[in-house]
Amino acid sequence: MLKYGTKIVAGVTPGKGGTEVHGVPVYDTVREAVKEHEADASIVFVPARYAVDAVYEAIDNGIKLIVVITEHIPVLDMARLVKYARARGSRIIGPNCPGLIVPEETLIGILPARAFKKGNIGIVSRSGTLTYEVSELLKNTGMGQSTVIGIGGDPIIGTSILEVVKMFDEDPNTDKIVVIGEIGGTMEERLAEAYKRGEIKKKVVAYIAGMTAPKEKRMGHAGAVVYMGMGTFESKIRAFKKAEIPVANTPYDIPKLLLS
Amino acid sequence: MKLYEYEGKALFKRVGIPIPNGVVTSEPIKWEGKAVVKSQLLEGARGKRGLVRVTEDVYNTILELKKLGIEKFLVEEFIPHEKEFYASILLDRETAEPMLVLSKEGGIDVEQAKDVKKMIIPLERGVRSYDIIEAEKYLGVKGLSPIIQGLYKLFVEYDAELVEINPLALTNDGKLVALDSKVILEDNALYKHEDLLKELGRQEVRDSYVELEGDIGIIGNGAGLTMATMDLVKLNGGNPADFLDVGGGASREHVRESVLKVGRNPKVKKIVINIYGGITRCDEVALGIVDALKEIKKPIFVRLLGTNEELGKKILRENGVNVYDDVLKMIGDAVRS
Repeated sequence: MLKYGTKIVAGVTPGKGGTEVHGVPVYDTVREAVKEHEADASIVFVPARYAVDAVYEAIDNGIKLIVVITEHIPVLDMARLVKYARARGSRIIGPNCPGLIVPEETLIGILPARAFKKGNIGIVSRSGTLTYEVSELLKNTGMGQSTVIGIGGDPIIGTSILEVVKMFDEDPNTDKIVVIGEIGGTMEERLAEAYKRGEIKKKVVAYIAGMTAPKEKRMGHAGAVVYMGMGTFESKIRAFKKAEIPVANTPYDIPKLLLS
Repeated sequence: MKLYEYEGKALFKRVGIPIPNGVVTSEPIKWEGKAVVKSQLLEGARGKRGLVRVTEDVYNTILELKKLGIEKFLVEEFIPHEKEFYASILLDRETAEPMLVLSKEGGIDVEQAKDVKKMIIPLERGVRSYDIIEAEKYLGVKGLSPIIQGLYKLFVEYDAELVEINPLALTNDGKLVALDSKVILEDNALYKHEDLLKELGRQEVRDSYVELEGDIGIIGNGAGLTMATMDLVKLNGGNPADFLDVGGGASREHVRESVLKVGRNPKVKKIVINIYGGITRCDEVALGIVDALKEIKKPIFVRLLGTNEELGKKILRENGVNVYDDVLKMIGDAVRS
């Protein structure tokens, strides 16, 4: 992140206060860090058992954007945490996500720089590596990205597909939007409904992973699971078709759909 | 982690949900009167497969089922009943709150039920008296309180993903009894419930492997990319045999174990590996694949892109592994081979 140009003012690790990493001062608590530095975002890499505390700590110290990379946070803990954050005006991205990148400007996450270049496509995704794959494909076909956000593969996440698409819709640097979804949950269906109601003006192209996934089996991501027939592949494709959002058969068809 | 029916019922009892009288056994037992012998397996559709039997002769029924390879049985009193309902609690992902699901059509797959009621019961307040009234009115029964309170308690206190009673029977004398249990605990929260795991004699296992019906083994890194690879195999006329996500930053050893796991499935004829190296290093992946190939001899098709890709490709080529830049070409070749 430092190499990419992100301004990292402080790190926090209990017990490591007073040390430095790559020239960045480390503190024991967020409170101590924000007393010395101004920070408007935070990124959490803390292991699952301690990540919940780390996010509460960031919220309580007024951090407005919290990117949670950590995987395996219990879902009920996350449900409480997301509500706590909303009530206090903080936005969580993730958990179980690669973070976000504004190509050639800033990176808050673990997305590999090689996949991205500056441009006018906004990408929102529930996946990590699939996002890199699609971004690199777009880059190789001459389409750069305005912002790329991995919102995470968990059942409960801080920021939904629809919220990000609405931000892209208002973002002057974004012309077209790519949505990379997967089975489980109904975030894709909610986007399709909003699109159908005319709430989104810009062109949206979608891809959904998990056509061949069996029900009630978790496909790697905690959130990629279908219970009670909710959030199946078919339901998402149907919703997008109804909203007239073009759906790519494979990730490799996305550039073609963007250009058509 | 999915619990066995008898484990789920033990938890039901603990939180006050009525269950039939019964015993767990792995050997034939003597039983007076009519009983239900239920094979204890984690897979569903036991009824359809004839693994749940109503009988007057428990001893011989168990003997017969044992011949089919079943190891554990729950023997319960037979409960005559008029009606069957459905009740469960799971997390509603949209509101991030527990959701009670009820249906007047019990005993069938709830997805097939036409009449279903869903009620959000927020974590902040828990189950309240008016929830019970609403639920009882919908099902047309009395006495739901211990059942709904119990399900909710299980869901929240044990970090369950799903707690389900199907069917919930209304007996001839007007009582509600849980005839079956389905409890799935959340893997990510198991560390909070070590006592329960110890009691059940179970261990926390974390595994992203899902077995499917086909003959092409699938390995990827990242859930989305791995699913997309499965789907591509299908779209190209092949049939995926599994889903296996090696995760981020996989080591040589982890890749070796993963390839062996997929390769040792006798149904697998060939293996497709699709890697985008971000925090994962392609050379580590390549070394892991080469290690595994010393132990299994099945055709492997690999696509490597990203961190240290040149080194990774070189390692694979030197060891005679088919390595590709283009995913579609790799999958096409794998399906046709």
